[in-house]
Amino acid sequence: MATVHQGLGNRAGEAPASSASANSRRAGSVVAHPRRSGLKLAPGLPWILPALVLCVGLIYYCIGYTGLISTWKWDGISPNPQHVGFGNYTELLHDPLFWGAVRHTVVFFAVTFTVQTFLGLTFAVLLHSRIRLAVVYKVIIFIPVVLAPAIMAPVFRAMLAPGGQFNQVLHDVGLGSLAQPWIGQPSTALPALMAITVWQFTGFTFVLYYAAMSQIDQSVLEAARLDGAGNLRVITSIVWPSVAGTTFALATLSVIGALKTFDIPWLVTAAGPNYATNFFGTYIYQEIIQLDNVGYGAALSILLLVTAVVFGVVLQLWRRRKAVQ
Amino acid sequence: MIRLSRSKSPRRTVAALCFSMPLMVSAQAGATPVHSATTERAGSISGTVSWWGWTPTDSAEATAEIAAFNKVYPNIKVKFKLITIANWVTALRPALVSGQGPDLFELQPGAYVTEFNSFARNMAPIAAQALGSDWRSKIAPSGISGFTYNGKLTALSVGSVYAGTLWVNVELFKEYHLSPPTTLAQWVKVCKAFKSHGVGCFVQGNETEGFLQDTLQSIANSVQPGLWTKASRGDAKWTSPGIVKTLTIWKRLFSDGIMESGSLGVQQYPDANNEFLTGKYAMIMMGTWYTANVTKNGMTSALQAAGVSNPKPFPILPIAFPNVGGHPSAMYGDADYGLAVYTKSKNTAAAETFAKWLATSSAGQQYVANQLEDLPSLKSVTPNYAAAGIVDPALQLGPVKKLAATVGNVTEPRESLLSSAMQNGSGGILSAAQGVATGSETPQAAAKALQAAAVASGVKFK
Repeated sequence: MATVHQGLGNRAGEAPASSASANSRRAGSVVAHPRRSGLKLAPGLPWILPALVLCVGLIYYCIGYTGLISTWKWDGISPNPQHVGFGNYTELLHDPLFWGAVRHTVVFFAVTFTVQTFLGLTFAVLLHSRIRLAVVYKVIIFIPVVLAPAIMAPVFRAMLAPGGQFNQVLHDVGLGSLAQPWIGQPSTALPALMAITVWQFTGFTFVLYYAAMSQIDQSVLEAARLDGAGNLRVITSIVWPSVAGTTFALATLSVIGALKTFDIPWLVTAAGPNYATNFFGTYIYQEIIQLDNVGYGAALSILLLVTAVVFGVVLQLWRRRKAVQ
Repeated sequence: MIRLSRSKSPRRTVAALCFSMPLMVSAQAGATPVHSATTERAGSISGTVSWWGWTPTDSAEATAEIAAFNKVYPNIKVKFKLITIANWVTALRPALVSGQGPDLFELQPGAYVTEFNSFARNMAPIAAQALGSDWRSKIAPSGISGFTYNGKLTALSVGSVYAGTLWVNVELFKEYHLSPPTTLAQWVKVCKAFKSHGVGCFVQGNETEGFLQDTLQSIANSVQPGLWTKASRGDAKWTSPGIVKTLTIWKRLFSDGIMESGSLGVQQYPDANNEFLTGKYAMIMMGTWYTANVTKNGMTSALQAAGVSNPKPFPILPIAFPNVGGHPSAMYGDADYGLAVYTKSKNTAAAETFAKWLATSSAGQQYVANQLEDLPSLKSVTPNYAAAGIVDPALQLGPVKKLAATVGNVTEPRESLLSSAMQNGSGGILSAAQGVATGSETPQAAAKALQAAAVASGVKFK
């Protein structure tokens, strides 16, 4: 920020502090006068102040307040919360449901990111080739992205029920032995949710890859072709490295998305059966809303925030190192 | 220990802001203040009352109740906001904590009374004013005990519900020449027979806690009458052999083909209810509230809600829960809901007037009774079955009246003794039942977890 402000000041021909102060007094300027030369206020500050107040007030203050609540044993109503220090965090570390949520989140991220990346890249490559009705395919692939999970959840609940359409199709094609109560048993509930997520967000992955591939220099691709590279070689040696930045961005978004997953598991399986699809988000909701453990839920929220920030920073560092290499 | 000033309540305000900003914005407030209800005549009381509730489940019924109320109190405007029971706490807590709650809100014995009692005015003086000093003798006992917290009557009970029965599709049983089961062995046999004809036998949503708890309590009452209630009170341990046997029988419902595979991913409402009403299953675990479906209007409305395009009401009957553990299984129940007046309401008199009318007047209670969803709180009121329009009176009237008479002897509570943590928390009833059903826990291990959850939730065992 300092660099940007300095740059703007230089471009505007900023005068020395004393001179500027005198000028602004004469002109009746509304810009605040710094008492010390090192504390110059940005000229654009008044313009960003409303947004700044909103951000600091509503987001960061609430984060701080949630951090405070996380040190309480509190039902959210009682006027006398009990201060327990880091007791909620200690309890969390010994909570099998917490570790279950961690495990589900890791598996969820690994599977959905991998599958979405593969499918998104494949669709993007295919639609960059000369195929008929490409626009129609793009729309079909992207439509699930704009559908709200709350609208699709009842559809998937009906479809994946023991007597639902998916099992019916399996019976109709002679695969009735594979029919399962997909969301009614722990072994298949999480894979079912991952399948729904992949269906919903592959379109987003596809769009980003499609846009990234449009930026690849055609002469490089043509040179590779002249050197005898086949489709697979072109994809692995030219396309894939060229869209690495997009892959990295998608990985970051997927990590954050997995950490805050709530709507699909809550609406489709209610985090069950027997906590088989419990995630951070659903666990926080259960603790705060259903069980009145507001302090414990706040501790979970803070851990979720810290984890997201750590992952974000690690991924950024990894990307920078890659860029340097 | 941190102590807060109740008058300023900054933490509660900020917590409400952080957790529930959207709800705060939509909360209703700002009606005309009125004076105390206790001394004014009907015509002189005025105001706009906001009423939040999960019952009546059909807003049209609430509208009709309000219209009947307005014939007596034309100057009080009541606005009903229907919030599903699943979202009840999510909506109500931030509204109450932020000081923007509804003038009237519904409570249920148990966790809700424990959590929200501090936001409810004492309704005992209102009951005494309406019914006299012996008001306690005129109201169903469960409607008093369930809503009393530290000596305060937190809500006026409107009606009661009781569970521990199955409802059967009479036509399906007739079609396949089967009789409703009375024992576990018969239940297994009947289910095999139905399934051999491609018809579902017993449907129950076990994804969430409410209805599997009913089934567990019914099994426990058949294994050892009263044990479930004793364990809930702390008079017996959850590790008692009777509870372990209860969980073992629960497991058998799955392994012997009574419970459908996948029922752990099914919700009672709307999934299981719709499956039963569309004739795909022959039996369902429901309580007295299902009596509303014996009427032509009630059944037609339910069928339409289940997605049936050309609904044709069919007769259903309540039957006793099968004797699965050696004893007839007794029913259990509580007040379904009561009306509480918000301590920060600016329309106290108007809100109390509506609550008093619905919960203690003959006209209001008759209205509740005739809907057949709740049994009226006022003992002197009985449903007008003749006016209800029963689908098959010759077949259904007798059993329905018998059911209403049976619940008069019910002594065991359904929800009021169990905390949220015991029901939905780690190791609680939902966790134990699903763990046993999936085989990830033995009945013994689940019973131990139940005991630990009960202790953790504050139950003191003798």
